[in-house]
Amino acid sequence: MEKDRNSFIFRLLSTLFVILAINFFLPRMMPGDPFSTTSADEVGEEIIVMTEEQRLYYLNYYGLDRPLYEQFLVYMKNLMTGDLGRSIYYKMPVSDVIMLHLPWTVLIVVGATVISTISGVILGTLSAKNRKKGSDRIMMTGLIAFAEIPSFLLGLILLLVFSVYLRLFPLAGAVTPFADYNGPAEQAWDILYHAFLPIVTLSLSQLTGVYLLTRNTLITVTTKDYIRTARAKGLGEKTVWIRHALRNALLPVVTRTGFMIGIMMGGVVLVESVFSYPGIGMTLRSAVVGRDYPLIQGILLVIAVSILVCNLLVDKIYGKLDPRVGI
Amino acid sequence: MSLLKINDLKCHYLTDADTVRAVDGISFEIGEGEILGIVGESGSGKTTVALGIMGLLPENTAISGEILYRDELISSLPESEMDRFRWKDIAIVFQNSLEVMNPVMKVGVQVTEPMIRHLGFSPEKARSKCADLFRTVGLDPKWMDSYPHQLSGGMRQRVLLAMALSCDPKFLILDEVTSALDAFTRKEIRDLLVALQKKNGYTMLMISHDITFVSSVASRIAVMYSGRVVETGPVRDILVSPRHPYTRGLVHSTPDIFVYKDLWGIPGDVPAGDEFKGCPFSPRCTQKIDICKDATPVLMPIGGGREIACHRGGIAGLLEARNLSFSYRLPDGEYLRAVDNVSLEVREGEVLAVVGQTGSGKSTLAHILANVIKPECGEVLFMDGNAGGGSYGNKVNGIQIVFQDPFSSTSNRFTVLDAVKEPLYINKIGSNGDRLQMVKNALELVRLPTTDNFLSKYCGELSGGQRQRVALARAMVMEPKLLIADEITSALDVSTSANVLRLLKGLQNRRGFAMIYISHDLSLTLKIADRIAVMNSGKIVEMGNSHDVMLSPYDEYTKRLVGSRIGLCCHNH
Repeated sequence: MEKDRNSFIFRLLSTLFVILAINFFLPRMMPGDPFSTTSADEVGEEIIVMTEEQRLYYLNYYGLDRPLYEQFLVYMKNLMTGDLGRSIYYKMPVSDVIMLHLPWTVLIVVGATVISTISGVILGTLSAKNRKKGSDRIMMTGLIAFAEIPSFLLGLILLLVFSVYLRLFPLAGAVTPFADYNGPAEQAWDILYHAFLPIVTLSLSQLTGVYLLTRNTLITVTTKDYIRTARAKGLGEKTVWIRHALRNALLPVVTRTGFMIGIMMGGVVLVESVFSYPGIGMTLRSAVVGRDYPLIQGILLVIAVSILVCNLLVDKIYGKLDPRVGI
Repeated sequence: MSLLKINDLKCHYLTDADTVRAVDGISFEIGEGEILGIVGESGSGKTTVALGIMGLLPENTAISGEILYRDELISSLPESEMDRFRWKDIAIVFQNSLEVMNPVMKVGVQVTEPMIRHLGFSPEKARSKCADLFRTVGLDPKWMDSYPHQLSGGMRQRVLLAMALSCDPKFLILDEVTSALDAFTRKEIRDLLVALQKKNGYTMLMISHDITFVSSVASRIAVMYSGRVVETGPVRDILVSPRHPYTRGLVHSTPDIFVYKDLWGIPGDVPAGDEFKGCPFSPRCTQKIDICKDATPVLMPIGGGREIACHRGGIAGLLEARNLSFSYRLPDGEYLRAVDNVSLEVREGEVLAVVGQTGSGKSTLAHILANVIKPECGEVLFMDGNAGGGSYGNKVNGIQIVFQDPFSSTSNRFTVLDAVKEPLYINKIGSNGDRLQMVKNALELVRLPTTDNFLSKYCGELSGGQRQRVALARAMVMEPKLLIADEITSALDVSTSANVLRLLKGLQNRRGFAMIYISHDLSLTLKIADRIAVMNSGKIVEMGNSHDVMLSPYDEYTKRLVGSRIGLCCHNH
């Protein structure tokens, strides 16, 4: 047991180290540097073209002219003390920048996870119950076709329809600018109002996966002997389906949810960009454009760590749900 | 009044490719408090019957016929209506497997579930009854809080039993409850079932391929084959004298019944084709006639509460000898009664061993039966005498005999080909080309080479084992219905005789001919015989199933014969 634990921690640390190394070297392998940006992202943004002299000065100032391994060692050393470095673009600590934007991302990712899982499981169960009937066929075909639409395209369509034409939802942002709320309820409403379309887009991109997994696992599970046993006991359809079949079919869905959060952390970059939603996805995008190395590193690290944590949580939860595991 | 009645039940599984007739028209009744056993090999449709009664057959099953419980038709009830009967009236103990219980639910919860639903128990009350049930089936109630995978196979089987008993059902179906268990657990479960049945008077339907287990609990047995019942009757009668060839094969393949005999299964497989005509057992049957291919036999009463589905009325008699006597005249003018008023019967496909010490008249009897010598009085009827007295040795599908000493029964100066071909030649069977092929087939049967080189060898060049096989091939070339083997291994060494004997029994099992095996060697005889006749001074002193004769001989002479086996040094008592 003790040995297992040690090797687990060792594996976790080595995974983390590899991620850190990739996070560090990958941005630096891209052409350009933070001080040679020549394009402006938004209209009206001032383009500062630095002279070669200024550029070298800043490179020296941020220590970017030193050998890579030296920079890496410094980065690792600072990381040990919890220092993620300073953002070159925002001119403030990377951790502050992340803390500013992370909550928005967490909001839409968690929201999308909950919504897509619940609706996927419900649809999957309905589909499995009506297997080979019309409703199952329609749902299956529809959702599979739907899954083929990339999430950013879906986001664009939703944005055009609901925000541009129907004007039901805002075009951008996470809150109404300069809003004056009468109490927290109104603030919460405003936040949900802004988060709605991004959450829907992300949910829809994951829905089909959950749906298919639930449906197919349920169909497999219902052929198992224990379902026959439950039927024989005359427990009634509802009990058989929910207590016996669904309970077992949800096990792989739980595992999937862990992976799903990882996939969504990547997908969120595009979705946030479409909706100009100020989460870390959009921040990452602008950091990449601006070659803001410390910020890129910081955000990638947060994403990586959150995926690791999710997987860890899923393992723990799975162990609780399935008594056959981890004893 | 019958508790459960099944009328012409048919369950056909419809798949895209074909239709599997898992159950094809069976009918039976079970009276209150009765235990009926259904036996049959895997794929015979036993479990489908059980699932059919419970209404648990998959959706792609076409079901016809009726199932009546207390005169109420339950075979066509919708799922929700069927739930009224499930568990409270009819419960089933499933075959233990890892996934027969919900893997993520504690076993105690799974046992209490039906009580809460059907009996309206509170969870606490159900739990306390569950603990009682666990004690009843011999499980510590502490196991209630474990998951199925934490229990052993035997424990799971007990939980399944407790689960089935939870709502005090009237009718209990047991589906292969012991087949995955070791011998000790199997016996414990059996004793438990018997005790529970005595106490609570359950009506039971026991389904198993384990004929020993079923027969130790049930009072009546139905033997199923390929979706049909082929024989039914009281347990003891069926075990002692099975009347259907399939039942006999099943009984003979059971090591618990034939303790000494080598295991030989029934050759062939259950027919799988969906459009099968005729008797389903006919491809494996040793006594099939023309009608068996075309018409399916129906279950007919044959008296004694027994019913059988066979066009030939069950295992047919092949040879009957009545009151045979024969005396040799000794040089001093006295007569020696070698065979004294012997009557016996050989049925289709069976191996009858005649044992006795040297000089007891075995060989003389063999010679009379093979029509080599004529009896002084008495008669031998072969195939109901249809074959006509005297001529049955000269015909294909007749009687053939293989003698003790291959060195005198095959001529040194004959080639192998001539020796084997001789009976064909004498009896003018086939053209020359046919004969050569028949000889080759016969040699193949006895595992001898069929090369020209071997065919033209002289018998004198062969070893004892080879020569006995040539003698065997000479008998086989006539495709006998009855083979008489007279001490055929006594002139051979141990290893060769073991090979010849296994070859012979293998041939018998595959080709399905009947055999009279004459020997003084009781140990060898027990390996292959279905029935044994013990001869002493020209009389048959005891005759019966080989295990009965061996385990409980009643005749003094037989007891001596059984007791006269020399044990190995370490077996001395």
